[in-house]
Amino acid sequence: MPVRPLNVGVIVKLEPDFSEGNVSYNPDGTLNRAETKNILGPHSAAATLAAFYCKVKYAARVAIGTMGPPIANQALKQAQIISNADELHLYSDRIFAGADTLATAEVLRLGVSRMNNGLGADIVISGHRASDGETGQTGPQTAWKLGYPFIGNVIDFQIDPENRSIHAKRFISLYGFYDVIEEIQAPLPVFISADPSYKPSFDTVSERLSLARNLNEARSKAENFEKYLQVYNSEALGADPRFVGLPGSPTIVYKVEKIPKAKAKRRVEFIDGNDTAQLDMAAEKLLQLMTEAPIK
Amino acid sequence: MEKYDVAVVGGGTSGLTALRQLANLGKQAILLEAGSTTGTKNVSGGILYSKKPKNGRVYNIEDVFGREFIDEAPFERAITQYILHATSKDKLYSIDLTPVHEYQINYAYSVLLSKLVPWLAKEASDMSEKMGGGIISGVHVRSIRWETGSNDTVIETDELEPFRVRAVIAADGTNSELADVTQSRNKFSSEQLYQGVKVVIKLPETILEDRFSITSEEGAAHLFAGDVTMNHIGGGFLYTNRDTISLGAVYHMDSMMENPVEPSRLIDALIRNQFVAEFIKDRVPTRKANQALISKDEEIRQHFMAVKLLKTWNNLRSDYYSRDGIKRLIESGKYKTREEIESRINNLEKELVEKYNCEFGDNYVELEYSARLIPDGKRCRMKTPYYKNVLFVGDAAGRGVFIGPRIEGLNVGIDDAVRAANAVARSLDRNNFDEQYLGSFYTKSVEESPYTRDMKEIDKEYLKIFLDCSKHIPKDIVGSRYGMIFKLMSSSTLRGIAVGFANMLGFDRLLPLVESVDTYVNVPVEIAERLGRHVDSNYIPNTPSLQERIAKLDYDDDSVPHIQVTKPRSEFMQKMVSLCPTRCYSSENGDVILQHEGCIECGTCAYDTLWRHPRGVKGVSYKYG
Repeated sequence: MPVRPLNVGVIVKLEPDFSEGNVSYNPDGTLNRAETKNILGPHSAAATLAAFYCKVKYAARVAIGTMGPPIANQALKQAQIISNADELHLYSDRIFAGADTLATAEVLRLGVSRMNNGLGADIVISGHRASDGETGQTGPQTAWKLGYPFIGNVIDFQIDPENRSIHAKRFISLYGFYDVIEEIQAPLPVFISADPSYKPSFDTVSERLSLARNLNEARSKAENFEKYLQVYNSEALGADPRFVGLPGSPTIVYKVEKIPKAKAKRRVEFIDGNDTAQLDMAAEKLLQLMTEAPIK
Repeated sequence: MEKYDVAVVGGGTSGLTALRQLANLGKQAILLEAGSTTGTKNVSGGILYSKKPKNGRVYNIEDVFGREFIDEAPFERAITQYILHATSKDKLYSIDLTPVHEYQINYAYSVLLSKLVPWLAKEASDMSEKMGGGIISGVHVRSIRWETGSNDTVIETDELEPFRVRAVIAADGTNSELADVTQSRNKFSSEQLYQGVKVVIKLPETILEDRFSITSEEGAAHLFAGDVTMNHIGGGFLYTNRDTISLGAVYHMDSMMENPVEPSRLIDALIRNQFVAEFIKDRVPTRKANQALISKDEEIRQHFMAVKLLKTWNNLRSDYYSRDGIKRLIESGKYKTREEIESRINNLEKELVEKYNCEFGDNYVELEYSARLIPDGKRCRMKTPYYKNVLFVGDAAGRGVFIGPRIEGLNVGIDDAVRAANAVARSLDRNNFDEQYLGSFYTKSVEESPYTRDMKEIDKEYLKIFLDCSKHIPKDIVGSRYGMIFKLMSSSTLRGIAVGFANMLGFDRLLPLVESVDTYVNVPVEIAERLGRHVDSNYIPNTPSLQERIAKLDYDDDSVPHIQVTKPRSEFMQKMVSLCPTRCYSSENGDVILQHEGCIECGTCAYDTLWRHPRGVKGVSYKYG
């Protein structure tokens, strides 16, 4: 019996580009979302890479979904370049606005079930957390809603398509000490979140050939990414208005406070590279600092 | 273990030709390239020839890549002038060798391999993918082995799991590691090698064409012998590219060992020749330090503004002096006329001079410094270029045509690669990889190549054309020793007899006479002194230091060195302190020590060290090549 092809779903988030010079603020100090450039979040990119790994190694079918306003399709294009995705889903509706993680998870649950021509996904991958939300709840909550086992902080994984199981390594950091790598085996379907340090490796000739092929394909697909884009509103997803958007959100943000700017402790001092006396002074200072510094 | 039909090791022009030819024949092959992408590790002089010998046939690049090569490939210029200059200080005597250059050619293009090779790679991999093969870059082949009881070869790399193949084409260059691990030939020694050093110099397109009196369809090559060689056997070359110049020096390693001079200084000697200096001259801005008392902040602000303006000036000027560039500027609607662009450039210059302490003057702009070893085919070609089911091609097999001013390597490698691919395809069809069936067949094919004949024999006709070109030189000038040979060679009957005799004797025996300091230095110096015209340049080029040259190169340094010094006190290693083109060696208490950061992997030191290429992706990446 031929092995059933692997279906992969990825949930990603469009995030403000926090790199220098790209963030703009409103006069009251809150983030100006309209002006700030948006990109595929770095954690979402790690999840997308994990999907690409499945694509290259297991010839998986990949669908990528995100909930957000129509401009979020740029994130989907970026994700397609990374992963050579076959389907791009945008879950967009005014009534989704104001959703917290649980309400978002509800939309994503419905989205995942429509992925890969309605077959859903054997593996759903999310990022570790979003860089503008920081809660890290959307992934696990979506897993819970889907009823899939959840494996977090995955740094490496292998799929056994025949026995329909996953063998994953997860990285657990306990307060910065005692870092542990845990190996887990689980049956499919499964939900995993990619650790920020996740990086796929391709170690055989066939994988490298497939890698080159997929990279080429991804580039040409992303040029016409609209062709792969499917937009779902609340109705198309069959969402129950009680569980999505503001009504579906048990948490409320009641106030956003500006974080006071910390005073810089560093001091810049220019020294003249041609002046030996100044160089000596700098060297002495460095030596002093290094002697004082505790060895960690 | 995965299994494939053929592995091609090395993604230069030969390797890619082999891959494409195999694909043309419907065969599956995997090409492994150590550089991060194909083309980043390749350096050539570089002229790529397409030839049509009278006897026998050679395979040219268009035979493999099709007409598309001529129509689409990013080569630089068709070389239509070929001039040799004898130099002595400010004297110069020129001999037009264009007929020599055009001998039996279809065309000759100047090329920059970092541009050309990626094109070849795309063409080759597109075709190869259809056969289940392709190119894998960033992978360094460490070793190959044969398992007992199997004809298959196991390829071991630093990056991938080992895999099996039925045949291997080794296109891994002059410093072939496959030749080393299979011990199918000795490492090339200094009497078999030339060292080439090159700089790529920027010169806007139409300025270049005016300077060399060429059209957009033409290109020029200039060769230099005489005092610019600093008493070494070899000479300098200058090839025009589209909007750059390749300027290089190629010297026999033996004479470099005898008289060690830092390679970068040899390039400098060439650049400072007044004739060359005038060729490469361009308008170059320099910025003086601001003497006025201004704050650090203001100084930094001014610096950034100046850099920004200089960038705009530079880009606009490059476009202004380029056919496509000026068209693009006017079509974009940004400017209406040429004059408008010109006045914008002038205004930028004025602003830079008045506000930002800039000065515009004559100098030249160096883009990239590179070096490589070139095998002299007549001294080091592998007589049986194979080991078991591994076929060596091009530089890896020590095959290059090196006769006086004629240096051909790329086309020889391409011809070998086609022959190797054809031999392998034949073996795949018959499932027979025995040495007699594969190796011997390939050897025979290579022996039949007109290029091999050029490595073994003097070509009478070629010699005649060469002598005709230089017939205006008085015979007494070249000394009694050469005078006699010259006289002998001017008569066609005597020439026929002499060449026949020399070829019978084995012309390698004549080499010490022909390839000597006399031929490359003393005779040209005398010619220049007695017959030369005075040349003058109104500026002295400001050559960058070696540190500046290295700083411009891109590196991904490995934490572990790819070279191990085994004999730190040997005479050879002591000489490497001067001869390493990037000064990676230094001497400490009599021991030569290596600092591998900065290595450009030329292999100059390979003979007496444990020398490997860096691991995949690591090491230098050339932008021009």
